[in-house]
Amino acid sequence: MSPRPEYVSDSDSGLDVFSECHSFEEPSSTNIEILSDDSEFDFSSGDYSEEEDARIENATSELESGSLLKGSKSGKLEPLGPPKLNYGCLTTDQIYQIMLSRLKALEPVLNRTPEDIIVLLQKFGWNEERLLECWTDDDNGVLISCGLKPKDDIKCERGIKEVRDFVCPICCESGQTEAFSLECGHEYCLDCHRHYIQDKLGEGKIITCMSCPLALRNHDIDVLTGTNSSQKLMLSSMKSFIQKHSSHYKWCPFVDCNYVIQIGNISCLSEFPRFHASPYVICDNMHKFCFRCSLESHDPGDCKVADQWVKTAQVESANLNWVLKNTKECPKCGVNIEKNGGCNHMTCKSCLFEFCWICERQWADHGGSYFECTRFKKEDKNDPQESKSTLRKYTFYYRLFSEHENSAKLDWKLGQTVEQKVRALQETTGLSWIETQFLPESIRVLIEGRTTLKWSFPVAFYSDASHNLTKIFVDNQLLLVTAVEDLSQLLQIKEPRKIVEKKLEFFNKSQFVKSRERALIECGRDLLCKGICCPQK
Amino acid sequence: MSLKRITKELNDLGRDPPTSCSAGPVGDDLYHWQASIMGPGDSPYAGGVFFLSIHFPTDYPFKPPKISFTTKIYHPNINANGNICLDILKDQWSPALTISKVLLSICSLLTDANPDDPLVPEIAHIYKTDRAKYEATAKEWTKKYAV
Repeated sequence: MSPRPEYVSDSDSGLDVFSECHSFEEPSSTNIEILSDDSEFDFSSGDYSEEEDARIENATSELESGSLLKGSKSGKLEPLGPPKLNYGCLTTDQIYQIMLSRLKALEPVLNRTPEDIIVLLQKFGWNEERLLECWTDDDNGVLISCGLKPKDDIKCERGIKEVRDFVCPICCESGQTEAFSLECGHEYCLDCHRHYIQDKLGEGKIITCMSCPLALRNHDIDVLTGTNSSQKLMLSSMKSFIQKHSSHYKWCPFVDCNYVIQIGNISCLSEFPRFHASPYVICDNMHKFCFRCSLESHDPGDCKVADQWVKTAQVESANLNWVLKNTKECPKCGVNIEKNGGCNHMTCKSCLFEFCWICERQWADHGGSYFECTRFKKEDKNDPQESKSTLRKYTFYYRLFSEHENSAKLDWKLGQTVEQKVRALQETTGLSWIETQFLPESIRVLIEGRTTLKWSFPVAFYSDASHNLTKIFVDNQLLLVTAVEDLSQLLQIKEPRKIVEKKLEFFNKSQFVKSRERALIECGRDLLCKGICCPQK
Repeated sequence: MSLKRITKELNDLGRDPPTSCSAGPVGDDLYHWQASIMGPGDSPYAGGVFFLSIHFPTDYPFKPPKISFTTKIYHPNINANGNICLDILKDQWSPALTISKVLLSICSLLTDANPDDPLVPEIAHIYKTDRAKYEATAKEWTKKYAV
């Protein structure tokens, strides 16, 4: 890595300044600057120099180190912002270990075997305090209620026993030679027991005898259904464990992701609402979500905006969904078009008309400041009904929201195939793995940018449109839209050689998206903190 | 497997029929039964005969049978479609239970409704606040639909 003496003293804020300035490599970006109110973007394409080139060279390390989220302006804002979250990402195995260690801690207190304690904890939904409370009150009662001790006398040994010409009362099959029972003596055949246990494993609750409340221990379950069945039961009781301790643990809400986030300093969670910020965590699959509301990252809105928006959407979406079906008519020839991937720059296959998927106007109009897709145009004054125009306004923003949601989903799919692309890149161009990582990183930036963009529409919806800061916010939205669409378009390139040629562009555009995203988030937080955006209205 | 068990239950019912209930297959299909319950004497349903339909799932007895009233009945735990809110027909089902035991449970549900876990909140509310009115309506419905 080449040295960067001018930034060494400036710690991380320096890094960010550098990342911001190099993204203004393209002359066309001057337009954007004019719109921006941000003094820090005071670079014009004119002072583009060799020094700048050197910085761009360094972009690789910046991208790879993934030093985002720090916020260049946080240098002066940090002491005012919310506290830093301390968290870890755990696998189900690690959670299991935590459960076991808690169990171990109870052993000397309860003086029972670990197997019995598992049953006790399952019964009490992993609430140790309540268990200990009840235990000190009436340990015998707890044992009976959890099925660990027969109410009456012990009638027989637990386990599999040999029997002669046994007719199982469950399946009514005769002539069986083996049966299983607990101390209660309710004998049923092994097949029925297996069937019964398999059905119950997923529930995470105590599995009792089929005729009385006596509990099967993990050992019995394993004896009957083969090794490690009880593991399955433990996995399902993990759900109740996490639910019980939800202030500390949360499942990653993303589909098919089994990671669990554990927060170390939960006391600081209460600090976040004051700053209109949300406690974001990132799991090892790079899924970013809000620990408070378990939604995906909903910056620049806070949890209140997101909550209100989701609630409104639930009520309204039924009405709107049919309007927002997947297809749109080509604005020129009227043929139906389905958007199944890529950016919002559409070309009609039938008449070759190029248009923007969002505003359905000619794409060429979008050059620079004409891009007005995020602006809600005030209705004509001859519409007196307030509620109707509110609905229109909502429809407008909801439409934008869902457009970007769909695009984000498609980007996500694109991300799934990126491994393949990387491999192709390595094979055809001889680049090393580390050199190809700009591609997945760009997609990640793209998805994050889109998510932020998506959640900026609720903020715009709840904001006072006449306020100057809202106007600035909308301008910032436009800038991010342009940045995201640019990057998205770049990512449509399929040819490996071309991708490598445009590597620098990938860096720059990603960095630009990142910086625009940051600016939009700051701007949105400003709206919230100053009360210009209030979802209660 | 389920067929053997259902046949056994049918034989047991024939041999030792429970008081105030009866049950048996509708046609040739052993998985579809019809049952009847006599309104318990100490309840407003006394004098009525209530019909129920029983559908056995293929993995019976590991899954509970589907039982619903076909006769209209005014009860906080039974709705207009005849669906019954009873724990042993849902999560408290055990393979060791039988149709005869379930029918007896439904009988006792008729005597002692469970208004704290209602299927029809309006009836439960009347049950809790104005018992006389509830009993009068239940009697009326029994007379109208079940006699």
